[in-house]
Amino acid sequence: MVSKESCRNEIRAAIRQLSDRCLYSAAKWAGEQLVGIEQDPSNFTPSNTRFQRGSSSIRRRFSTNESISTPQPSVGFSQAATPLPEEDETIDGDLYLLAKSYFDCREYRRASHVLRDQTSKKSVFLHFYALYLAGEKRKEEEMIELEGPLGKSDAINRELVSLERDLSALRRTGAIDSFGLYLYGVVLKEKGNETLAIASLVESVNSYPWNWSAWSELQSLCTSIETLDRLNLNNHWMKDFFLGYAYQELRMHTESLAKYDYLQGIFSFSNYIQAQTAKAQYSLREFDQVEIMFEELLRNDPYRVEDMDLYSNVLYAKEACAALSYLAHKVFLTDKYRPESCCIIGNYYSLKGQHEKAVMYFRRALKLSKKYLSAWTLMGHEYVEMKNTPAAIDAYRRAVDINPSDYRAWYGLGQAYEMMGMPFYALHYFRKSIFFLPNDSRLWIAMAKCYQTEQLYMLEEAIKCYKRAVNCTDTEGIALNQLAKLHQKLGRNEEAAFYFEKDLERMDAEGLEGPNMFEALVFLATHFKNHKKFEEAEVYCTRLLDYSGPEKEKAKSLLRGIRMAQTGFPSMDLEHFPI
Amino acid sequence: MAGLTRTAGAFAVTPHKISVCILLQIYAPSAQMSLPFPFSSVSQHNRLGLYLLSLTKSCDDIFEPKLEELINQLRDVGEEMDAWLTDHLTNRFSSLASPDDLLNFFNDMRGILGSPDSGVVQDDQIILDPNSNLGMFVRRCILAFNLLSFEGVCHLFSSIEDYCKEAHSSSAQFDGSNNDLESLTHYDQMDMEIYAIDKATEELELQKNASGSVPFHLHTPEAIFKVIEGLRVSPKESSRTRKKITEATLVSSASSSTVEDTLVDESLFLRTNLQIQGFLMEQADAIETHRSSSSFSSSSIESFLEQLQNLAPELHRVHFLRYLNKLHSDDYFAALDNLLRYFDYSAGTEGFDLVAPSADCSMYGRYEIGLLCLGMMHFRFGHPNLALEVLTEAVRVSQQLSNDTCLAYTLAAMSNLLSEMGIASASSVLGSSYSPVTSTASSLSVQQRVYILLKESLRRADSLKLRRLVASNHLAMAKFELMHVQRPLLSFGPKASMRHKTCPVSVCKEIRLGAHLISDFSSESSTMTVDGSLSSAWLKDLQKPWGPPVVSQDSGSRKSSTFFKLCDHSVSIPGSVSQLIGASYLLRATSWEFYGSAPMARMNTLVYATLFGDSSSSSDAELAYLKLIQHLALYKGHKDAFAALKIAEEKFLTVSKSKILLLKLQLLHERALHCGNLKLAQRMCNELGGLASTAMGVDMELKVEASLREARILLAAKQYSQAANVGHSLFCTCHKFNLQIEKASVLLLLAEIHKKSGNSVLGLPYALASISFCQSFNLDLLRASATLTLAELWLGLGSNHAKRALDLLHGAFPMILGHGGLELRARAYIFEANCYLSDPSFSVSTDSDTVLDSLRQASDELESLEYHELAAEASYLMAMVYDKLGRVEEREEAASLFKKHIIALENPQDVEQNMA
Repeated sequence: MVSKESCRNEIRAAIRQLSDRCLYSAAKWAGEQLVGIEQDPSNFTPSNTRFQRGSSSIRRRFSTNESISTPQPSVGFSQAATPLPEEDETIDGDLYLLAKSYFDCREYRRASHVLRDQTSKKSVFLHFYALYLAGEKRKEEEMIELEGPLGKSDAINRELVSLERDLSALRRTGAIDSFGLYLYGVVLKEKGNETLAIASLVESVNSYPWNWSAWSELQSLCTSIETLDRLNLNNHWMKDFFLGYAYQELRMHTESLAKYDYLQGIFSFSNYIQAQTAKAQYSLREFDQVEIMFEELLRNDPYRVEDMDLYSNVLYAKEACAALSYLAHKVFLTDKYRPESCCIIGNYYSLKGQHEKAVMYFRRALKLSKKYLSAWTLMGHEYVEMKNTPAAIDAYRRAVDINPSDYRAWYGLGQAYEMMGMPFYALHYFRKSIFFLPNDSRLWIAMAKCYQTEQLYMLEEAIKCYKRAVNCTDTEGIALNQLAKLHQKLGRNEEAAFYFEKDLERMDAEGLEGPNMFEALVFLATHFKNHKKFEEAEVYCTRLLDYSGPEKEKAKSLLRGIRMAQTGFPSMDLEHFPI
Repeated sequence: MAGLTRTAGAFAVTPHKISVCILLQIYAPSAQMSLPFPFSSVSQHNRLGLYLLSLTKSCDDIFEPKLEELINQLRDVGEEMDAWLTDHLTNRFSSLASPDDLLNFFNDMRGILGSPDSGVVQDDQIILDPNSNLGMFVRRCILAFNLLSFEGVCHLFSSIEDYCKEAHSSSAQFDGSNNDLESLTHYDQMDMEIYAIDKATEELELQKNASGSVPFHLHTPEAIFKVIEGLRVSPKESSRTRKKITEATLVSSASSSTVEDTLVDESLFLRTNLQIQGFLMEQADAIETHRSSSSFSSSSIESFLEQLQNLAPELHRVHFLRYLNKLHSDDYFAALDNLLRYFDYSAGTEGFDLVAPSADCSMYGRYEIGLLCLGMMHFRFGHPNLALEVLTEAVRVSQQLSNDTCLAYTLAAMSNLLSEMGIASASSVLGSSYSPVTSTASSLSVQQRVYILLKESLRRADSLKLRRLVASNHLAMAKFELMHVQRPLLSFGPKASMRHKTCPVSVCKEIRLGAHLISDFSSESSTMTVDGSLSSAWLKDLQKPWGPPVVSQDSGSRKSSTFFKLCDHSVSIPGSVSQLIGASYLLRATSWEFYGSAPMARMNTLVYATLFGDSSSSSDAELAYLKLIQHLALYKGHKDAFAALKIAEEKFLTVSKSKILLLKLQLLHERALHCGNLKLAQRMCNELGGLASTAMGVDMELKVEASLREARILLAAKQYSQAANVGHSLFCTCHKFNLQIEKASVLLLLAEIHKKSGNSVLGLPYALASISFCQSFNLDLLRASATLTLAELWLGLGSNHAKRALDLLHGAFPMILGHGGLELRARAYIFEANCYLSDPSFSVSTDSDTVLDSLRQASDELESLEYHELAAEASYLMAMVYDKLGRVEEREEAASLFKKHIIALENPQDVEQNMA
């Protein structure tokens, strides 16, 4: 059992310790969770309420319900509470104070130098951490300076070698604390030694679970569910955060949603959880819900840039131009040199049909962050729109090489090749994308269309694909119609009738009308008439009579034929006789 | 890439290039002297120039040589003045103390270039022409330096420091692996080495004075190496091993944690783009030709390619190389992945532009080439159906984009696919495919489609002047003419005349056309690789004499040897061309084999094996070996053949889809049949039949062969009716699948069966039919053997036909004796004797020599063949003749021979043990 109070106390202490070690992003994350915990009634100050007032009425209702049924048995929450480590020195050394201020001014090398002979754990960690960051900073600079003729960028963090040597020495003597283990893990990961890195990070989070940076490093190393399952982690509420995140990255969205749902019991106001939930919902294509969540998130935290690219994708999908431009303007004012901002602006231009500008912004996003996956994919989409297929293929391929499980990019590759009239070649890519997202009807339909092209004309395979699409709850209703038509084309009228009926049911349920409807009705009417099931045929004919146009005439003649047949006339084709 | 920024082909200044610039300054100093200072002769001066030229062109690796390697090479080039050269080089480097010095250095470099408008050149003046190769190099260096930002200059400066440092630390590093700390400290100092070199040169001079000759291997580093290691390691070898070590550490970077590793990692500089491309092309050739030999490991190539990819992620050709490598190491998924990646990134425009310089379709990329490659890959991995689909798409896309070159290649690939797939499996595939090209021919048989495709491809290739494709198409056409019996192409159905025939003239014509076009390959070959490999060969040659102590006094002879080597290299033909020529010889051999001239077949195979053995693909080389072994088996007996087979097995068993096993089974089967070990023969035959039906499809020809062999076994076991049944069904199969040539041999077999069963009258029509088949297909040897059978049948009708039989035999004798194998010849001899003996007008006593001669011949030949049945017959006849003549001793001898053979025939067990 974990009470909100103990959580709060743990986090408060952790924030202090994390910021003492200049692990700012972890401290930031912890701070977000701290205020995400439902309000502490004891120190109920107006400023606090103001902070939480922004939450929407839905959320409010939801949360009050929860607080009424307060003593909820929160199973599985951290059983063995990890004791908070005591600080090894109560009074910080002078040199430490100086170093920390250097650090805060981003003069890492200077900070590291000041602490070179210090022995207290905090100073030792800060010494190494500053050194590491100095190397990273230099590396980033070199990356631009050293861009070779063939894209060679061999810039490396030059401090890694010495850091690894010193940290492993520390570890051998046992003088390393959990923060040191975290840094050691990061260094090992950069050097490509993943198994050791995982071991080191696991040790770090087991002894000090509140360091979110360590958890996220660990997540980036868990590329498969097997590695995730093999981790030997102590139970702690931080582990649930970690699992939710890891599940999400492994595309196990429902599992991750369950985790977040669960965590919301304590951190009911956490923006982080809300954003993550929105992300998962986005992957499940619940756009309306996601939009609401993001709107709420922005109301609580108007200057947030993180995850806003996702929101822009939703707005793009919903073609909400105005909202997208508003969002773009807002992030632009907040921080225009973030990859997310550039991506949002790119999305906006793309929606407006100004693809060249969109490409420019996606490029900028990539300049800011080379591994920014979705920018590559989106850029590929833009090039497709601009009919520059080779460039599109190149962009998609880069996305795929960064993350091989990016089904959108695989799909894009398939589409591009199909556009160039190479459907057989495209099939391989569609297969790849389906492999990563097997229950998405759009992908199956795309593949079926590929089989259906006149060059391939492999209708049996197309039918198989459409069947899969139907099983995946095809929302646009293409698959049923196509299935019926294909069967009709192949002369299998029974199957065709079955699928036309199903399609008709679907259209009735959704209240749609259109040429598909007429087609289905005409086919069904003639089909049943030919099979002497006059009652069914009549039903369909009368439905057709409701509409005007040639279908009505057709229905009339069909009805006449039915009457004739029913009254026992020889079943000759009476339509040809002028009556 | 169309939309993305790309700076491929850019030229970066590296420390190595600065070294070359320094040397160029020495070579052509701005001060106008007729012969610059350190050079004592014009030839020396030229030698340095040649060396510098090769340095800028050579492509034996992707990395630029390190300073140490450069100095080593300089020692060879510089001869007497090597010390001065290296001194100057190192001093020049150490004088670069700040970025400003670099700036001044490049300003100075400008001075050595002659101005383009200086029309008047004095006779002895040395000026670097700005448009010459070296001049261009200097200009590019200067330009690249001028484009550098200040950060870039700083990086260059620090990498120069590393470059110089490493020249010394790398040798120390090597020693470090021996844990010889003492030598490490000894060797760490730069001054120390200079001192050592000085000492060495002193020593050299001393020796020169003493004996007038300089031992070449004697220079300091090696001397020290020797001391350290206690064994002779030439510097070249040691540098090799060191390279391996660094490579290994680079690959296993997971465990790399020492300082040295990162040092090595940082100081790798890639050569210029063209040099790398040339090197990659060489590697591609190597992958194709040496995939079977054990010295060539695909994993080492893979690791090297990985490294290159890390260093140059925008060099997409690497992906293609990886694809090739994976293709040849039979890794389907990796090959597919790399192929797709290559075409995704490069759109097929990188690398292929060297082959087909038409740039008209660059807007859309050249994805049709990707399809072509994919199709060929599927084919290689045994997915003919997929391959056909992909190739069909390639045809369509290249038609769409009007890329005729690709279309020609695709059609050729398709016809190759169809002809190799075998007939049974192909017919089902073609039904489903839909293609503008193939659909026109949907009613035609597979052979006719192959023919049409080939014709189309040939026509396009001819108009596009793709000489290699034209040549290979001619060869394929010759093969087709050889394999398939011609019918009038457009008139089909029961009414059309069904006269089949082959046309050796057209085969010959096609082969000659193919070979003829190859002769002017030079217009197509890329000069880049030839140039580059020439240069690297020259550079390598510098180091060759290091192994054995070569005396420098006779440097004249050394030079001449390099000269010859250079000549050798410069006329070297691109690998693909020589492969094609080789294939034409192989095809010639096969066609002679078909038409029945063994000596010609053997000669052509030998020509192939000796001249094209090195450059050939391993499957072709294997085929040549197989042919030679088959020849041995037929003409020299099985013992020799098996000995040769053993050698071939060691060489070729690693080749995928090896035919060695097939040959072994065939040989074993024949031998078992000869020895009368029918059980073994049956087993071999069954295995052969198993090989015919692979997962890829049924090889009809092999299948027919297997049942032919089965019928032979039944015949040998005297199961005549069963054998006849097999023969009949076999004939039906051949007819069904249009295997015209096999029909002739099946008919002959049927005749044999009837002959053996004593039913000569029934056999006659079969023999006659076989003869007429052979006649129309020009199968001379088979015809001779059919004539022999016919004669035997006549004799079987009664001794009054002996005269006629003898006449027939004598008509066929020239062919049999000239081209026939041991067995056929022996049979002919025995039969001749038989004829004489059964001729009532022939008297043994007066004309015994005619009979005895041929019998002796026969038994000699059968001895080496171990054919007991016939040998027994021969010795029996001999004994009879001797008996008639009253020569008792010789009769006894022949009789004992007869007994020996009969016993061997009846107890095949121990023979088998010998064989095993």
